[in-house]
Amino acid sequence: MKNIDELNKKKIPVVRIDNSLEQFKDQPIFQEKVDKANEMLKNIGLPKSKKHHR
Amino acid sequence: MKLPRYELKAEKSLMVFEFVSEGPKGEIPKLIKYSETNLKDLYNLAFGDKNLKTGEIDDTIVSNNGDSEKVLATVVSTVYAFCDKHPESWIFATGSTKSRTRLYRMGITKYIDEVGKDFDVYGLRDNEWEEFVKEIEYDAFLVKHK
Repeated sequence: MKNIDELNKKKIPVVRIDNSLEQFKDQPIFQEKVDKANEMLKNIGLPKSKKHHR
Repeated sequence: MKLPRYELKAEKSLMVFEFVSEGPKGEIPKLIKYSETNLKDLYNLAFGDKNLKTGEIDDTIVSNNGDSEKVLATVVSTVYAFCDKHPESWIFATGSTKSRTRLYRMGITKYIDEVGKDFDVYGLRDNEWEEFVKEIEYDAFLVKHK
């Protein structure tokens, strides 16, 4: 059995499934931020290729 | 990810995570949510404190619980978990205020050497995406697993 220190070194964390969190999936929490993201991305879209700073 | 981080709980799609911050101000439950956006495969990452009395989530509060590095390491670890479950996804993040966005930038800067091995990380500047560079102010951030 792995101890906590070993598990903490893994990049992908151990996640315990908790079905009570399902309720938040469809709730509009952080909706303002989602709206802000949609607004910002409307004209910009995704990067086409890696761009380096000027 | 050698820094300590909190134990995570999530629902089965790994779009909503919860952990409990522990510090001088007591135990503060935190919620992280990856929300769908209008762009396919692009998710907005947001997190905030869960008010145990009202059940509401506040992403503007500064909890000052003395564990910001552990909180940040925990949030970063959810990016790995989320992208493992949703490998084609892009993750977008911006702060609720300029100072909060600056905090995100400082957080990404702290992890960029390690995270950059696994993810392409972009910053939004002058309405254009560019590869994330330390010490540059950005309006938002975008991450995609390599």
